[in-house]
Amino acid sequence: MSERPTIEQYQKFIQERDFHVFRCKKCGAMIAPPKGVCYSCGSNELEWAKVSGRGKLISFTVIHVAPEQFKDEAPYFVGIVELEEGTRVTARLLGLDPDQPEKVQLGMPLRLDYETGQTGRMYLGFRPA
Amino acid sequence: MPLRETHIVSGAQTKFGKLEGITLREMFAEAVDKATVDAGIAKEDIQAAFIGTFIPEMLVHQGHTAPLLVDYAGLRGLPATRHEAACASGATALRAGIMAIESGLYDTVLVAAAEKMTSVSTNKATEALAAAADDEFESSMGLTFPGVFAIAAVAHMQKYGTTEEDMALVAVKAHKNAAKNPLAQFQKEITLEKAMTPRYVAWPLKLFDCSPISDGAAAVVLTNREKAKKYTDTPIRIVGTGQASASMNLCDRTELTSFEGSVRAARIAYEMAGLTPKDIDVAVVHDCFTIAEIIATEDLGFFKPGEGAKAVREGVTAMDGDMPINPMGGLKAVGHPVGATGVKQAVVIYRELIGEAGANQVPNHDVGLMHNFGGTGATCVVNIMRRADA
Repeated sequence: MSERPTIEQYQKFIQERDFHVFRCKKCGAMIAPPKGVCYSCGSNELEWAKVSGRGKLISFTVIHVAPEQFKDEAPYFVGIVELEEGTRVTARLLGLDPDQPEKVQLGMPLRLDYETGQTGRMYLGFRPA
Repeated sequence: MPLRETHIVSGAQTKFGKLEGITLREMFAEAVDKATVDAGIAKEDIQAAFIGTFIPEMLVHQGHTAPLLVDYAGLRGLPATRHEAACASGATALRAGIMAIESGLYDTVLVAAAEKMTSVSTNKATEALAAAADDEFESSMGLTFPGVFAIAAVAHMQKYGTTEEDMALVAVKAHKNAAKNPLAQFQKEITLEKAMTPRYVAWPLKLFDCSPISDGAAAVVLTNREKAKKYTDTPIRIVGTGQASASMNLCDRTELTSFEGSVRAARIAYEMAGLTPKDIDVAVVHDCFTIAEIIATEDLGFFKPGEGAKAVREGVTAMDGDMPINPMGGLKAVGHPVGATGVKQAVVIYRELIGEAGANQVPNHDVGLMHNFGGTGATCVVNIMRRADA
């Protein structure tokens, strides 16, 4: 693994069900999805870090009209998840009923998981903890 | 300091909608002719052209659109540059025109924009639109544009109690205004019940919460203070302009119930104009989705955070309300040919301020504001205009 974290490797980690985030070497801020600099302190010295996989739900939607490549997966949840470490990611929400979105509670605790799409691509996912 | 030089002296748009049998360059030329020769402005007076198109590469397999379009419109030879900022392409082209006039480099310039979207399938158009979001981290897991705004809607509903019905009322208002606008894609009123039809696109957004796929073009002519009166008795001054960028990814925003790009661009524009939200008589805001209009009216300072929906319910934003929003029908009902929208918005404010908005004329029309969004709100432009005699 190269010393400086790359987007290519970030995506590879997800495909391998081994989610890693960028971490600022200067201030320790966790960064995901990747950025070229740390928005907390401005440093561009970044490294890899693991996260606990715990988070909470910030907001979500259920996609009914999906682009061609995701058509067979609809309806599916996409949510914004705040990790325990502070950073937020966009992810699929798993283990929830897409026909009852009104029952989903914002703020609910979630844990990291993954989902394989119809094309074989692995999505970053979270399910109720 | 308010801008001093830039005046709009004409503005026009084509009809918006599914325009059969008319190509991108033909729509563009139609809008340019309406804004120049039909308005008594000789094309020879135009010294440069600033062009807005979003993604003709995918929609009509054509790049390098600026010289192509101005050539077809009879303006061959002019410096012509395309500006691309997704749905804010038009407004960024307009800002380039403003800078050209304010700098004194040119006396008179054309700002024109067009998009032809219906010659490809809806799937293909949707795929093209998706290029305005972050492909690497959001689109690639199946998040769509309606999905982005649905996520904002859910956050707004949770924080402020905004309802699906409130959003539907924005659509009802848009259609009511567009019913009187002969250039609108949907010249038809809809009932609240119809707007609430549970055909979900991205829950909680339904079919009638979304702006359509459209064709169309729009153009304005800008000139300096000295020349303005030569062309019209009612020039419109652009007194303030603001633009900001924000993260493409929703997950990188600390606030989902407000768009920080709008807040920042508005602050810059108000400060430059020396005006406050209370001074604005009429506004066009980027209602690509109904929730976007509610949030924009809060971000622009017309209503407190969380009170945008109440303003819709109480009719404040109706054409005859105290703060008319999108009096001609907005993107929602007039249509949203992506690159053209920002220039069309300037045309709407121009027509309202000079008092020539026909059946869509608002009663008070000294000062107007336009708000144009790109993609997920990663680009935002706010321009404030006032009648030169006001």
